[in-house]
Amino acid sequence: MNHFTKLVAAAVLAGATGGAAVAQELFVPNLAYRTGPFAATGIPIMNGQADYFTMLNQRDGGIGGVPVNAEECETGYSTEKGVECYEKLKGEALVTQPWSTGITLQVLPKTNVDEIPIYGPGYGFSPMADGTTFKWAYNTPSGYWDAADMIVQYIEGQEGDLEGKKFAFLHLDHPFGKEPLPVLEQLAEEKGFELVPIPVGLNEMQNQSAQWLQIRRERPDYVIMWGWGAMNAGAITEAVKTKFPMENFIGVWWAGHDADLNLVGEEGAGYKSISWSFPNMDAPVMQDIKEYVVDEGLSQTNPEEMEGVFYGRGVVISAILGEAIRVAQDEYDTAEITPAQLRWGFENLDFSEERIAELGLDGMVPPFQTSCENHTGHSGGWMLEWDGEQFVKASDLLRPNVESYSDLIDSSAAEYAESNAPWPNNEECAATN
Amino acid sequence: MLYRTAGQFKTSYKADQALFPVRQDAILLGVILAFAWVIFPFTASEFAFQTMLIPVLIYALAALGLNILTGYAGQLSLGTGAFMGVGAYACYKMVTLFPWMNPVVAILLSGFFSAGVGVAFGIPSLRIKGFYLAIATLAAQFFLTWLFEKWAWLYNYNASGAIQVPNIQMFGIYVTGPQADSIVQYFLVLGIVTVMTLLCINLTRGTLGRTWKATRDMDIAAELIGINLMTSKLTAFAISSYVVGVAGALYVFMWKGAAEPNVFYIQLSFQVLFIAIIGGLGSILGNFLGAILIVGLPVVLNLVPGALGIPISSAMVEHLNTMIIGALIVFFLIVEPHGLARLWALIREKLIIWPFPH
Repeated sequence: MNHFTKLVAAAVLAGATGGAAVAQELFVPNLAYRTGPFAATGIPIMNGQADYFTMLNQRDGGIGGVPVNAEECETGYSTEKGVECYEKLKGEALVTQPWSTGITLQVLPKTNVDEIPIYGPGYGFSPMADGTTFKWAYNTPSGYWDAADMIVQYIEGQEGDLEGKKFAFLHLDHPFGKEPLPVLEQLAEEKGFELVPIPVGLNEMQNQSAQWLQIRRERPDYVIMWGWGAMNAGAITEAVKTKFPMENFIGVWWAGHDADLNLVGEEGAGYKSISWSFPNMDAPVMQDIKEYVVDEGLSQTNPEEMEGVFYGRGVVISAILGEAIRVAQDEYDTAEITPAQLRWGFENLDFSEERIAELGLDGMVPPFQTSCENHTGHSGGWMLEWDGEQFVKASDLLRPNVESYSDLIDSSAAEYAESNAPWPNNEECAATN
Repeated sequence: MLYRTAGQFKTSYKADQALFPVRQDAILLGVILAFAWVIFPFTASEFAFQTMLIPVLIYALAALGLNILTGYAGQLSLGTGAFMGVGAYACYKMVTLFPWMNPVVAILLSGFFSAGVGVAFGIPSLRIKGFYLAIATLAAQFFLTWLFEKWAWLYNYNASGAIQVPNIQMFGIYVTGPQADSIVQYFLVLGIVTVMTLLCINLTRGTLGRTWKATRDMDIAAELIGINLMTSKLTAFAISSYVVGVAGALYVFMWKGAAEPNVFYIQLSFQVLFIAIIGGLGSILGNFLGAILIVGLPVVLNLVPGALGIPISSAMVEHLNTMIIGALIVFFLIVEPHGLARLWALIREKLIIWPFPH
């Protein structure tokens, strides 16, 4: 009978925690992954995110006078744990930050029922850009399809005509890695280059010799990589070993982690990664974090990590979330906002040059705007290049040609809505269009 | 005293062969069923449904399926995760191809697909045994998950390569998909698990079960007393895979709501195997005890620091959790190498003679 008493205890415990009252705070939990196979990339982002909110609490007493509680719920990047966290937090949370494509796919259909916005900065399901269909989901400031388009644009800028060129698309064989394929295929058709998709299975991430053998055989002009976690280090070391010209090797923003390139150092010089964030240590916000958080001993970070791309990205992610809270507070004239009000805030973000400067994020994020029908903002980004020691900006701000795949966004969003029928569209938004 | 069997006389063969010849067992089961069917559903929160009640039942069912093959028929299998996947994908294809189909019927039918696949991969068991068979089922595991990734028809050419459960109604109530209520899903899962468990208890007590046990204990001896090893082994593969396939369909349709191929990787096979081993091979009750320990307990442990107000970070909780669960597994296996079910059997025997041990 002992196991039933356990279950009863569990039910009682769950009831007790579920019923706990919310104090005066803005509860923005984060489904963090500081453990598990992706922890190396997770930790700097999570530190950046947490430190930004700690800084706001220390410097300004929170947002609009209410402190921010950015509690973490550990998922280890596992979908099951992620759903467990989501269920645990959904009663009080203002926002869900799912942090993995798998968890996003699980939570996305529930948003219309639970009415909590999903905030997946630069990841998740690309058609989430369509705010008319995905009322509660935001992947600001830029999505995977934007990334694919910008990478091809950059190569076009370097090479001129792409007719007859060959691109290998090295990607994780997982929903995340397959995300940009529709846009890349469309671009290949338009611009006349040949696209060779090379999938890397989840269990071959660390040993990609077969994939790189294929790359050597195919002799592509460029390798475009959609990698994550251990896959990036695997690919970069393998590229060095097979003497692939690093300047023709371009990754998505999750493949631009300093630690992966530190492994190869000088030999990795020339490797590029598109990014919508840049770590600018001179930006006022970084100085404030240093002064109010790191020097006070309230952070888990270290000086080397703070200079990295991922830490800076974590700061930008929290800054966007913080700004959405502030916009919502102003609009509804209340400091303690509800998830529905935060949703409005996300929809009315205006990261103009002036606002970015006011927030102290100089040079860390490109300007963008969201609206009712545009939930991504399509900020564009910079091509970062590894110079042997750190990432530097290697291009001016690139802007995606959203028009060229807006039909694809609409049709994919419609398809999703159809297969999840009954799926409520955002009627207010459709009316204003 | 509580468990005294004295005075319970059996006056007919029927009574002697009853599922629960001891009255207290029947009462205990009645109490458990009352909890499962009445008390939990009306007291549990959404969180308890989604993270404990539903997954424990589904994992227990998957372990039950594996236990028939490994515990009763003695054929070690490492392909459980993939067979669950076959059930899940079959169910997905059925409800998308035939939207009029009743979801419960689809879930029950999907088991037949995994049974077919299970039999096909069970054929090597006629020639090989033990660890060698485990390797053959491992091949099934890798081949099938590879197929889930590469065969785009299985996931309806979805760009993400994942399957998403549609909203399906039954008698005007949503039973699957995001619109479905947890309590509805819980009752469906509980219903299916109850029926399947009853079926398996009876199967393992009957001719088939005895044939399996004979095959497990010594197959040459079994053959000598006239047992057809081929039928014995292949029925074990078929019935086990059927149960596992249904568990897989429930896993995606009644619980997860969406699944990528990597959900069915070998980790899932191991998890189900651990549940079966820690619960007790060759027992039905053990699967439920094992599932509570492996699936339910970590969730409860995660809540403890928060409930007690201990300020430790959630990553630390996760690390501690892994250590505690690992230690508990080692502890239980030292205390009782034959699993939790055997531990309960010992406790029960002690209770029967308590307070006057002889």
